[in-house]
Amino acid sequence: MAFEKTLKSPVTTNVLRPPGAVNELLFPSKCIRCGRCVEVCPYGSIRPLDIHAGIFTGTPLIHVTDIPCYLCMKCVEVCPTGTLRPITQQETKMGLAVINKHACITWNGELALCRTCYNICPFKETAIKLDELRPVVIDKYCTGCGLCVHGCQVTQENGKKAINVEPIYAYRRRAIANE
Amino acid sequence: MPTAEEQSPMNKPSARYTPFRLLTLTLSFLLILVTPYLNSHYHLNFVQGWFQSLSIGHLWFVSPLEGIESILTSRSVYAPLMVGMFIPVLLALLFGRVFCSWVCPISFFSETLDRIIFLFTRKKFRPFGIRLPKRSIWFALIGEIILAMTIGAPIFVFLSPPGLVGREIMMMTLFKTLAMEGLIVAVVLLMHLVSKRMFCRYLCPLGGLLGLLGIKRRLVVVPDTDACLNCGLCQKSCPLGLDPEAGQSLSAYCWNCGSCIEICKASALKFQWKDI
Repeated sequence: MAFEKTLKSPVTTNVLRPPGAVNELLFPSKCIRCGRCVEVCPYGSIRPLDIHAGIFTGTPLIHVTDIPCYLCMKCVEVCPTGTLRPITQQETKMGLAVINKHACITWNGELALCRTCYNICPFKETAIKLDELRPVVIDKYCTGCGLCVHGCQVTQENGKKAINVEPIYAYRRRAIANE
Repeated sequence: MPTAEEQSPMNKPSARYTPFRLLTLTLSFLLILVTPYLNSHYHLNFVQGWFQSLSIGHLWFVSPLEGIESILTSRSVYAPLMVGMFIPVLLALLFGRVFCSWVCPISFFSETLDRIIFLFTRKKFRPFGIRLPKRSIWFALIGEIILAMTIGAPIFVFLSPPGLVGREIMMMTLFKTLAMEGLIVAVVLLMHLVSKRMFCRYLCPLGGLLGLLGIKRRLVVVPDTDACLNCGLCQKSCPLGLDPEAGQSLSAYCWNCGSCIEICKASALKFQWKDI
């Protein structure tokens, strides 16, 4: 229903808020839609939503399958409202990368040696490790930047990749983990 | 009775403010026009944003209404937001609604439209059209804030015409598309065609807030009742439909554009800095 969509958060799998975002319940009320995070993003990762998103109109969103977040941390510096809090790369918790072991060609045994997600991860050997040559995400250090999703070669029938970022921290009281 | 010589505009040349105002309007529009391009193509982040939040170096501005809505709907205070609102609020306290008449991109578009219309009609003043009670702007402000607090999201921040102009320019520069809510800008300009500055006069919550802040402003247009010829030109030239010769320029509604001062042949209207 159209009305339902006006109040429902657009954040889902692989569709994430920029780094340092406050609780998703607070996000639409705190953000003044000034678009400075969109403008400052050198990669064009952040896009503002349009009027179809109801009360979330104008809020920034990252579709990691299109362009992931490269964790340059420019957007958190410019946010004037504190909706994106000034945090560091390591503190970023946009979500958690989850490997679908049935879809992943390394895990399901179809072709044993793809490890793109491992190679592409900015925190290689910290946030993602190899367990007998198969990738394993370490949840404590994964920032949810979505580089692995962007790099993953497998696209499932439902449009998801074999590794997906789930925004599991979106509704937490504190977005900054590891404290 | 004043003589014909006294009435002639050559007698006492009035102060010219419109060229400066148009220059400011054009420059501020150019600023938000080129900023997204400089940001996205050259990664020059020195100037950033538009009139919802603008940063020039480390000097940050936040639009007061957007800031207040953000504070009210999220029920939290963030210090950099307060600091960003400081200069615009101070400007409104001292000068009143000068943002509307000297900076706002909607003003820029409306003034441009006025000049295009002038080329066709050759009429100096357009008839006013629809008139509503002047106080509707306060109801727009109150209604907007209550609505925003009810649904828990600031409404004006994504539907504000001045902000939308900036957002659409950015969408065009960065993503080569336009967002649908930009139609609001077209509606506002259509309203301007029907009745002069109708949205600005009666419906703009931001204008309402700036006017409210500027109730006790220091810069006012003061009429000199002795010099006044009661010609009514100032009333015709006022974009807000005020009557400066009756002292309405002292009210909260006036936005200090100076067009009445310029049109006055008797120099009976002047900007005055009120001392405490």
